[in-house]
Amino acid sequence: MPTLTEIAKATKKKREIKLVGIDMYLITEKGIPKFDEIGPFKCEFISNRGTKVWPGFVSPDLLMVNWYRCRFMATKDVQDADVNTFLDALTKKGWWWSAAQKLWTYDGEAGFSKAY
Amino acid sequence: MGTQHVVTMLPGEGTGPEICEAVRMVIDASGVDIKWEYEEIGLDCLEKHGTLLPDKTIQTIARNKIALKGPTTTPIGTGHKSANVTLRKVFDLYANVRPAKLIPVLKRPWDKIDILNFRENTEDCYAAIEHMVSDEVAQCLKVITWPGSYRIAEFAFKWARANGRKKIYCVHKANIMKMTDGLFLDAFREVAKKYPEFETGDIIVDNCCMQLVRNPAQFDCLVLPNLYGDILTDLCAGLVGGLGFAPGANMGDNCAIFEAVHGSAPKYAGMKKVNPSAVLVSGIMMLRWLHETAAADRIEKAMFAVLDERKHVTYDVGGTATTDEYAQAIVDKMQAKA
Repeated sequence: MPTLTEIAKATKKKREIKLVGIDMYLITEKGIPKFDEIGPFKCEFISNRGTKVWPGFVSPDLLMVNWYRCRFMATKDVQDADVNTFLDALTKKGWWWSAAQKLWTYDGEAGFSKAY
Repeated sequence: MGTQHVVTMLPGEGTGPEICEAVRMVIDASGVDIKWEYEEIGLDCLEKHGTLLPDKTIQTIARNKIALKGPTTTPIGTGHKSANVTLRKVFDLYANVRPAKLIPVLKRPWDKIDILNFRENTEDCYAAIEHMVSDEVAQCLKVITWPGSYRIAEFAFKWARANGRKKIYCVHKANIMKMTDGLFLDAFREVAKKYPEFETGDIIVDNCCMQLVRNPAQFDCLVLPNLYGDILTDLCAGLVGGLGFAPGANMGDNCAIFEAVHGSAPKYAGMKKVNPSAVLVSGIMMLRWLHETAAADRIEKAMFAVLDERKHVTYDVGGTATTDEYAQAIVDKMQAKA
């Protein structure tokens, strides 16, 4: 008789995972970061406390802290090694980052949320 | 006639437009001078303009700095973002003020409930940072910041002081989430030092829920992070009569949006049978914010009288009146007493 844990694990469906980008969490006191394309990654949006601050309208009243989420999407097929190169390049440009989160699609469906 | 106020009206969707028309009729009949500027928001907008919140709506709200909003719809699990959350984010409406006060004519098992909830409105698990970090693990980032926590505490104390309140408690789960909720609590305690006239304290969220159900009269003002605030404000609304009578305001430093907190009830759209009271009491709250206290009091008194008579009330409170008939009865009551 399988345990409930074993039954739960058996329900998992196999899905095709594809790397499509990186969420970078940067700490800076210099305001909203600006980026050129870095290798095969292009900045799609930047959010602060979950609110999109680039591109588009930003309320002058918006409270921003020194921690930004910068979403970089791949402009071509990429591998994990491209992420390592990207992180090196970002560090060399002087950006101080607290975390990086790879963005994957699962059977073509985004496994990451958009910013408000 | 006093000052003319220019207010953005956001009728929303589903039953929102018919509710907002009824509410407008009542507010206009109260003697207050309001120029209404209508703008679109929500799912209908997404279909028409490709966005929940068109630029024109943003510009009008930014210009008028005040809006009255009907309900909008947010699908669960998938689909587009919430129009409400988008609005709060765009205008940094960080304080969700949700009073829960007994309405005399709605019979409830308590003698007294008069709670002012101050919910932080922009952070916590609502920062929209979610990832499938493996194919079997989903993760949502809970974001709590010092300035975000500090300003909601400061907002609450200022509001409480201006309204003669005595006691403010911070609701949290800092025994488990020591860094995030701990930071929220630390900021509250820091702000509390500036307001020594208040009785202050803190309460763990699960205990707070139990205490609210057992003895709601013990609470005066509560300051809550976003997620607990979302849940507990509805709990408080349930204590006093449900979401159909619950007002709400989303406030920033330079903009205020008053809204009902219930859904858009699309299955009733066009039937003119839903109770517009939640938007109406939000409108009353808006009038008080605009210092139109006399008009606010007139509407409130007339609404209570109509509810008390039970002749022209909607189906949810045991009547057969339409949305418009209920609103007209309130107008008639105001004019009869004028």
